[in-house]
Amino acid sequence: MSARRFDLRTLLALMAGVLMVTLMGMTVVDVIGRYVFNAPLRGAAELTELLLASVIFLGLPAVALADEHVTVDLVTDRLPDWIQPWRQGLIGIFSGAILAVVAWRIWIYAAQIGGYGGATTTLRLPLAPLGYFCAACTAFGAALSLGVPLWDLYRRRKG
Amino acid sequence: MEHWPVGLAIVGVLLLLGVPISMALAGVGLAGVAAIIGWTPALSLLGSTFFDTGRDYSLSVLPLFLMMGNFVVQSGIASELYNSAYAWLRHRKGGLATATVIACGAFSSVCGSSMATAATMTRIALPSMRKFGYPDQLSTAAIAAGGTLGILIPPSVILVFYGIMTQQDIGKLFLAGLIPGVIGIIGYSIAVRISIAWQGIDLPVEPKLPLLDRIRALKGTAGALILFAFVMGGIYLGVFTPTESAGMGAGGALLLVVLSGRFSFGGLVAVLYDTMKTTAMMFFILFGALTFTNYVNMSGMTRDIQAFLALFGDTPMVTILVILVIYLLLGCVLESLSMIMLTVPVFYPIVAAQGIDLIWFGIFVVMVTEISYITPPVGMNAFVLRSVVPDVRLGTIFRGLGPFVMMDVVRVALLTAVPGLVLLLT
Amino acid sequence: QTTLTVANWLPPSHPLVSELIVPMTEQIEEATGGTVVANILPAPLGPPPAHFDFAVNGVADITFGVQGYNAGRFKTTNIAELPFLGDSAEAISVAYWRIFEAMLKDAGEYDDVKVLAVFTHGPGEIFLKEGDVASADVMQGQKIRVGGGIVHEVASALGAVPVEGPSSKAYELLSQGVADGILFPYESVSFFKLIPQLSDAISVPGGLYNTSFYIVMNKGKWESLTPEQQEQIDSVTGEALARMAGQMWDNADAAGLAAMEGEIEVVTATDAQMEAWKAALQPVVDAKIAEAAETGVDAQAAYDMLKAEIAKETGGE
Ligand code: NA
Ligand code: NA
Repeated sequence: MSARRFDLRTLLALMAGVLMVTLMGMTVVDVIGRYVFNAPLRGAAELTELLLASVIFLGLPAVALADEHVTVDLVTDRLPDWIQPWRQGLIGIFSGAILAVVAWRIWIYAAQIGGYGGATTTLRLPLAPLGYFCAACTAFGAALSLGVPLWDLYRRRKG
Repeated sequence: MEHWPVGLAIVGVLLLLGVPISMALAGVGLAGVAAIIGWTPALSLLGSTFFDTGRDYSLSVLPLFLMMGNFVVQSGIASELYNSAYAWLRHRKGGLATATVIACGAFSSVCGSSMATAATMTRIALPSMRKFGYPDQLSTAAIAAGGTLGILIPPSVILVFYGIMTQQDIGKLFLAGLIPGVIGIIGYSIAVRISIAWQGIDLPVEPKLPLLDRIRALKGTAGALILFAFVMGGIYLGVFTPTESAGMGAGGALLLVVLSGRFSFGGLVAVLYDTMKTTAMMFFILFGALTFTNYVNMSGMTRDIQAFLALFGDTPMVTILVILVIYLLLGCVLESLSMIMLTVPVFYPIVAAQGIDLIWFGIFVVMVTEISYITPPVGMNAFVLRSVVPDVRLGTIFRGLGPFVMMDVVRVALLTAVPGLVLLLT
Repeated sequence: QTTLTVANWLPPSHPLVSELIVPMTEQIEEATGGTVVANILPAPLGPPPAHFDFAVNGVADITFGVQGYNAGRFKTTNIAELPFLGDSAEAISVAYWRIFEAMLKDAGEYDDVKVLAVFTHGPGEIFLKEGDVASADVMQGQKIRVGGGIVHEVASALGAVPVEGPSSKAYELLSQGVADGILFPYESVSFFKLIPQLSDAISVPGGLYNTSFYIVMNKGKWESLTPEQQEQIDSVTGEALARMAGQMWDNADAAGLAAMEGEIEVVTATDAQMEAWKAALQPVVDAKIAEAAETGVDAQAAYDMLKAEIAKETGGE
């Protein structure tokens, strides 16, 4: 598992690198273009929006992989140790279910947007593919949110 | 009264059981909306909330400022800055925490968002404060509270939003936010002292450095000052907007990493992976919060609050006090912008009819709803810290925030007693 | 009694809400003898572009918004947004509703909902921080804040440098000096608190563009009403609602213009400017009509009918 986690992480990290550098580079190119050459980057604002969504949703598997969903630990810290993996497992099922529903609904929504040819305002880039991408990332995040705590539980039970 | 109080209670229980905040809010929000309009439309609203909010241009500052913070750390600027600050402040107990609050105020003058301020300052300040022996309880609280200044000191997304919603002059709102912002900095500095005195925090105190050594230590601040001047100058000379300053600041910080000779491909990818992960954590909490807000919106909470407020007649002082209590209670579970959208449309005609100045009320609303960012169980700035540094317990952060919340209440009381402090500059 | 939920993404103080949506719900209640009432939600359920689908999917029963926010979805909208159509939002809106009924709805863009009205905002004018307002080249090189759609193309065609950003960011762009001006109706300049940021305005006869709006209802909800209720609602929506919307924008524009008194100097475009701009914008007009024709409607005929109906409305007053 740990080797696979590492490989997946490397892949996600490289994709993140490309997306984030583009996100940053676009503002820089737009501002320099506008200020120095009177020629801003056409569609910079909407490209920023598309990249933002890509970064957020691609980040979800990374969060789930590290089991780092933010939780309120005010009470749970005081529960006995033996209960923790079980609690984590139940929460993994809950989170996995919610994320699976979210993934499903984003997929449906993307299909709806694709149905009428929804696109960005200036560059007319189709929105549906981004929707499918976000849905796929969420589904992947759902599987990891469920799988990582259950795997830990299984390993602990085996000793 | 509708069933929204039940929804609030269920969220509270799920959170205490350790369900991820984003999932608890989204799950209860979805079920609540479904109870009102049925499952099919509720599910379609869920898809829209996650996908459409994820493409909000003004929210793009979050990952970009976070990236800037990461680069600032990687270039060594952050630790140099804190080394210099320590050289000047090491004989003062808690000096670095106070310096962090002031740095948050300075960063607020280029950033219009509380969460972005808290996220960036965590990256920059926390490692150095740990190095100098500051306990997490104090340093995280100083950052989370300092972050709430982001919205009061201009530029400020929420003040623009309030100005358009209530048709008040945005320039005046910005000016009105300045003095309360400075009072906030002073208040938080006092809170640092209170924390040290009451919470038994043990801090290192070293003898005062000779003036010459302290001046020599200033050398390390050059990088940070150049970056700050670049971002600040860019905004105030009209080269780029505050939203764009996030991207420009990140680009500038990356340039500093390269110039410092600390650039490496592996390091870059690690920073960007980390930024993406933190971005996802924060946004999924936001998506959950918005799903829950949709439920509260449909459930008639606004009408119930309006009816409740009407019980108290038309004495301005009483009205303001009741509104303060309502916000403090709602602030336990809702975040600032949601509360403003849900309540300001019904509150502002009422307070205006009682002769309360709407510029003053805007500052009041922003200050009071900002407290929600630092109160448990749903406190966005505390969550931001948790997502940037996952090894800190949330309980630690909220415990540390006690004195800061107290100073916020004192500040609100002061500005209510002396409204002139808000309106002086307008 | 049936309650219709109305989704609203604007502050309740906005004239589109207080002077149109609220009166509309009152008229529906009155026409149906109190059997159909409305509940306007206090806060937005999502960003403005999501609102058409809220009606399609039944998230809310009635929604309103701007077709241009859903690029790629509405092409017939182009016809009502073209330059130089007229100075009265009322006349344009009523004429727009008539060509919608007669021709545009055949494009099928609104088949998933019940349309209560389509209408347009008042004409878009030019607002600048500085510049030689009498020159035909006044727009050359000016950084102009634009949203999307036709405004972007109009600004480019006039030689301006388009600076993109949502309307909520207009204040930031102008106050920081990143943008030198904006194309907006009088109402919007005032509503978005931009008057202190601007000094000159050029009133363009006929307007540089219009913005098209819709008010629609969920189809299932509509079909759940009795035929009698449907007839009663039809009697206060459609052309009557489009007219009320146009009047609302005309009043809001007049109030916006009055608020500029002493703050912004408003001049009317010169004949030379109009000649130059009409020539510069002709390619935009042709392209937009061609795009509308892609839906299968006779876009040129619709455009001609729109202009004829506007003339009829304007002459009839
Ligand atoms: Na700020
Ligand atoms: Na809170």
